[in-house]
Amino acid sequence: MTYRTRRTLTAYALLAPAILYFSVYFAGPILIEFWASLRSGQPMIGQSEFAGLDNYAEILRDRLAHKSMVATLVYAIGSTVITLVFALGLSAILSGPVRAKNTIRAIIFFPYIVSFVIGALMWKSILDPYSGLLNSGLLYLGLEPQNWLADPSRALYVLIGVSVWKDVGYATLIYIAAIQGIPDQLYDAARIDGAKPRHLFRDITLPLLMPTTLFLAVVVMIAHLQEISLPYLMTGGGPANSTRLYSLHVYETAFKDFDLGYASALSFAMFVMILLITWIQFKLLHRDIRHT
Amino acid sequence: MLRKNLKVTLLAATAAVFGMNSASAETLRVYFNAGHAYETYLEVIEQFEADNPGWDVAFEKFQWPDMRTKIVADFAASNPPDLLAEPGGWVPEFAQKSLIMPLTKYIDADGKDMGFPSDWQDGSVTRNTINGEVYGVQIHQTCATLVYNKDLLSEAGYDAPPTTWEEFRDVAKKTSKPGVFGFAPNPSFGYIFPFIYQNGGDWYDAETKQMTFGSPETQEAVQFLGDMIHKDKSAPPPVAGSDYEGPQRLFTAGRAAMIITGPWDVNAIRTGNPDLNWGVAPSITGEKQATIAGGVSLMIPKDAKHPDMAWELIKRLTAVDVEVASALQYGMTMPRKSWLANPQIGADPILSGFGECLAYAKGVNDEISHAGLYSSAVEETFKGAIDEVLYSGASAADLLPDAEKEANRLLTR
Repeated sequence: MTYRTRRTLTAYALLAPAILYFSVYFAGPILIEFWASLRSGQPMIGQSEFAGLDNYAEILRDRLAHKSMVATLVYAIGSTVITLVFALGLSAILSGPVRAKNTIRAIIFFPYIVSFVIGALMWKSILDPYSGLLNSGLLYLGLEPQNWLADPSRALYVLIGVSVWKDVGYATLIYIAAIQGIPDQLYDAARIDGAKPRHLFRDITLPLLMPTTLFLAVVVMIAHLQEISLPYLMTGGGPANSTRLYSLHVYETAFKDFDLGYASALSFAMFVMILLITWIQFKLLHRDIRHT
Repeated sequence: MLRKNLKVTLLAATAAVFGMNSASAETLRVYFNAGHAYETYLEVIEQFEADNPGWDVAFEKFQWPDMRTKIVADFAASNPPDLLAEPGGWVPEFAQKSLIMPLTKYIDADGKDMGFPSDWQDGSVTRNTINGEVYGVQIHQTCATLVYNKDLLSEAGYDAPPTTWEEFRDVAKKTSKPGVFGFAPNPSFGYIFPFIYQNGGDWYDAETKQMTFGSPETQEAVQFLGDMIHKDKSAPPPVAGSDYEGPQRLFTAGRAAMIITGPWDVNAIRTGNPDLNWGVAPSITGEKQATIAGGVSLMIPKDAKHPDMAWELIKRLTAVDVEVASALQYGMTMPRKSWLANPQIGADPILSGFGECLAYAKGVNDEISHAGLYSSAVEETFKGAIDEVLYSGASAADLLPDAEKEANRLLTR
């Protein structure tokens, strides 16, 4: 056996556990899901028949699926954009000479390490129209209490607010790390050329943070496209299905209706959509930036 | 020598492990609702284990939605529990999918001794009978009716609870004041149905096998509640969420004069505010007196490992003395006729109040589940339209016919 062959075999042997892991836990389930999506009834559990593309055709007619898809896109795009904008602003401030910045960073990061269930239930309690802290505060200030989660035109935006609260600490921390990686001499050179702080941020910090922004936009967006905990725990998808996010729709189709074939099709369609959105994000945000 | 020692050690360890397993207890896996883990049932289980040496009961508690997720995954893995509780509708659904077993052989053997089905209310048996075979035994039988705060009604000048829609609306208006709602509606799907049934409406027609919630009767019932919220301001929009306890909490805190609920809230009200002066009234009458029925049944999955022992436990959990003790301690209503006839139950005004509405109560999903047509998508389509009326003040006449059309399309899926 030649040295080259031995090296190749060793490499594959070392890769084998990872390949096995991804095959069993990622590729396998995706293939099974695609197979199930082409069947009616209860594939894997009970009786099912080959249904061709019927389940995918049904997605085109399913009003609840359309409504949940629109809600999911609004939720995911809104949450991602607001999270990144807030995080960018906070990281720019907290990278500078701010008193007690470590304490502030810890406070901002704290929601990220709180269990999602605890966070959701805490916000549900705060937003309770009759006994919640927020409405008590409004009453104290002489303002009208609000039905935060009981208004179909508002409930989704409240969930976006809660998700921003949850994720902004994580994004801020990543941005701060990226800002600290930008060489000081770039700023020094710009200052010598007469650049003001806003120019430094716009022309140096922001462009050099593009790879980080791309990373965060992809990671945060994918997480939000798959969101189920918040609507499940806080609103049950209501009122009037206004917070019925796509994953909740898939979950209910699979577990409440036992319609596993159709749920698989819904799920596979989401998988394709996430791939597409991620590809668009790469196209829009990817820049080959080198600062050395 | 070292090799021989290793072999001996391995053999000993294997023998120890397998030996221990064969000598250890058999486990009977039971899935139960977390809110129904009554002390009385735990005592039954303790006695069951004592009477059956070598048996352990793994009593696993879930909220209904979590149990649903778990059991679907268990069925997929062919690893269901031995005994399963359900909140209504699952028995016909699982029976039609051949996931649970008919109980015929057990009922033939033990039915006479345990009083099944003769001692069970007729409705509780028919809801679990599919194609002539019984697949579940009801352990709780409930109905939701009007629950009212006597002091708040008295302050508003009423000595008795309302009996008609007109009186109900009038009482709700007059008991409303800052911080107090005349009526607190529930966001859960089933709670609109007392009004729908009282007005002669329904959401599904078993004869035509079509959704019928676009009917004028159903529109009127949904609009009635919408008008109480948006025109009279005597009821708040229901608190959005997946739980159904919001109105009970307002009522217990003395912030709602009337709610519609069932015996499942009795314990929470009693313990939450022991001083509350409250009562249970017969359901109000529109075109007719009507309300919703509910309850919990026990069933045995087809792939259960120990169906015979599961049946033994069913017999014990549904014994009339256990029913009476559970009802007196937790306020739950039960399906046995001898339970309703028990003098201790008759002497309890709350229990007998809820017992009364069993006679005219109807299960929301019974007919559609028996037809094998229930789906959450159909439910959500109807609920979405109801929510628009209750939360946004939209017109029921504008929304329900269109939603009905979509629901009928979904039935053909």
